[in-house]
Amino acid sequence: MSPYQLSSDRHLSRRHFLKAGAAAASGLALSGCGWTLANVRTTIDTPSDVLYLYTWAGYTDDELIKEFYDETGIRVIADVFSSNEEMLAKLQAGAGGAYSIIYPSDYMVRKMVSLDWLVDLDRDRLLGLDELFPRFQNPGYDTQNRHSIPMSWGTTGLIYNSRKLQPNPTDWDYLWDNRQQLSKRISLLNDGREVIGAALRSLGYSYNTTNIDAIRQAYQKLTELKSAIATFTSDAWTSQIITGDLTIAMCYSADAVQVIEESPGTAYLLPDSGSSVWTDTMAIPRTAPNIEGAYAWLNFMLRPDVSARVCERLSFATPNQVAFGLLPEEVQNNDSLFPPESALEKSEELKPLPTEVGEAFDLYWTRLTSG
Amino acid sequence: MSITTNPPPEPPKLKPQTEASKKPFGSRWLGQLVLLGPAGIWLLLLLVVPTLVILELSLVADIRPGDVVNPDGFANYLRAFAPLNLTVIGRSISFALGTTIGCLILGFPVAYWIALQAPKKWRNLLLLGFILPLWTSSLLRSYAWITILRRTGVLNSIIGIIGIPPLELMNEPPAVLIGMTYSFLPYMVLILYASLEKLDRRLLEASADLGATPPETFLRVTVPQVFPGIAAGGLLVFITSLGDFINPELLGGASSMTVARLIYNQFLGQTPNWGFGSALSTLLILLVSIAIALLLKYGDRDAKV
Repeated sequence: MSPYQLSSDRHLSRRHFLKAGAAAASGLALSGCGWTLANVRTTIDTPSDVLYLYTWAGYTDDELIKEFYDETGIRVIADVFSSNEEMLAKLQAGAGGAYSIIYPSDYMVRKMVSLDWLVDLDRDRLLGLDELFPRFQNPGYDTQNRHSIPMSWGTTGLIYNSRKLQPNPTDWDYLWDNRQQLSKRISLLNDGREVIGAALRSLGYSYNTTNIDAIRQAYQKLTELKSAIATFTSDAWTSQIITGDLTIAMCYSADAVQVIEESPGTAYLLPDSGSSVWTDTMAIPRTAPNIEGAYAWLNFMLRPDVSARVCERLSFATPNQVAFGLLPEEVQNNDSLFPPESALEKSEELKPLPTEVGEAFDLYWTRLTSG
Repeated sequence: MSITTNPPPEPPKLKPQTEASKKPFGSRWLGQLVLLGPAGIWLLLLLVVPTLVILELSLVADIRPGDVVNPDGFANYLRAFAPLNLTVIGRSISFALGTTIGCLILGFPVAYWIALQAPKKWRNLLLLGFILPLWTSSLLRSYAWITILRRTGVLNSIIGIIGIPPLELMNEPPAVLIGMTYSFLPYMVLILYASLEKLDRRLLEASADLGATPPETFLRVTVPQVFPGIAAGGLLVFITSLGDFINPELLGGASSMTVARLIYNQFLGQTPNWGFGSALSTLLILLVSIAIALLLKYGDRDAKV
């Protein structure tokens, strides 16, 4: 359901529409000798028994929403986005005024905090923050979780056909060493930061390097692999790994865990030289209506029993230590879902880059995907 | 049919005209305003103004959401003509051209058969059958092509039975052309059908009478008559496929960046640059406008012959 449909919602009166219209018009306000676009901050008031979420696909299901409704009487309506940038663009364009909870990833939390888009969370109204794993209690992207609550995390790595690839791959370089045999059997994520970042990592640089020459070297290295790459995709690899059309695919651990459940001949690898670690969080945007409902949702999701159940059902990794303890042993021991600390040490969190570095990433990414 | 070829003009038809011309200019103007106003405002607010905004944004270098819009030059256009971006634009144009040719080659015989040879009572049903795929999502249709074209897919399983080695179509340009041709074929068939249906068959008979072979009749009598239809169908397919996003993205593989995707990246990618995205959009609008201008010029001239 999109917010455009919201305006036909019977709860919305004409007054709200006019208010939204006025706010949208002010977004085109004159400023100096030019005008600015997309700084619209519209709140669409929603009734207190309805809560709009803007989230990734696969983080909520009917059971979770029903459980919340049974406890609080609040009806949850979840819209999904497919990238952080899409979510931010929609909010900036003034089309996200009904959302009380959004699910930005770590680097997007940093960015949105710097753009002053996220509410400072009132810690007195949150229960169970101390039950998170220590490294999620004070994460690098958001000191002391002031603006965001971690809800899921994972790594970026490779899923591969463990029957065909013997001995099993251990690091990014496997792709380069075997590019002849793997020709057109490799897919990489459709994401410049991740793909160039993996090449940077295999060259010994950081994912977040600001050294443009290092980015160029990573691009050079990727061009050597280019002829062996079937496609850049963040989702279409799933069916092709299962059917055997692809032998190895770069992916997020949460997606890999789901595919491995369906297709036992596949395995997930967190590369030895390190990878990126991501955290998806929940936050309240500045424009949020129904703040009460938003805190109710955050507290609900912070509860270990809720977190454990939903993580097991939808196969993602919980950042909640107590919830982890409630999981069945075979889930706890799933290295793809919960990699050992030693493997995580070499992995990094993606950070927002200065504009000129971001542009270099973008330029080489365009080159790589068009050449 | 124009009025002049009609037998004596019927009074009821002319009456409203004479009445209208008697009315004072003001009320006629008001009537036109009432009729055209809503659509005019719609066009002005939702087409003209946004296009002008795109045009203005395209003149600002490195603008990002929230920045102040101060047009300052043509840097974005210069960037669009960098070799890298020209490759991308060129790929889009060649995909669109390939799709147009593919649709014409596949669509013409079908439209010819439906319009001239199929039993009359079947025509509407046959046309409906052609439009039917348009009722499903284009995303779904692209996904269906993945199932068919991939290495262990339907196509390769079938040709494997007769001993042909598997084709590597998926993730290569041929897959994009197949997907796009499939997507836009109905438009071509519909327009060619409309054009072929009006074909003057007496001319075909005359041509045969005067000793032309069937290929000669086809090339020198049929094709010139339906040329406006070919031009209109070709341009419609060219224009829509130029902006296609889904087929290159899903079927094209690792080297499938097109203008549509590049524009998308400037707005929803990791390093948004609205100015550059707007410049690319303006160029795309220009390309399409040129195509439409060609249609108006050549489509019309031949229609009058």
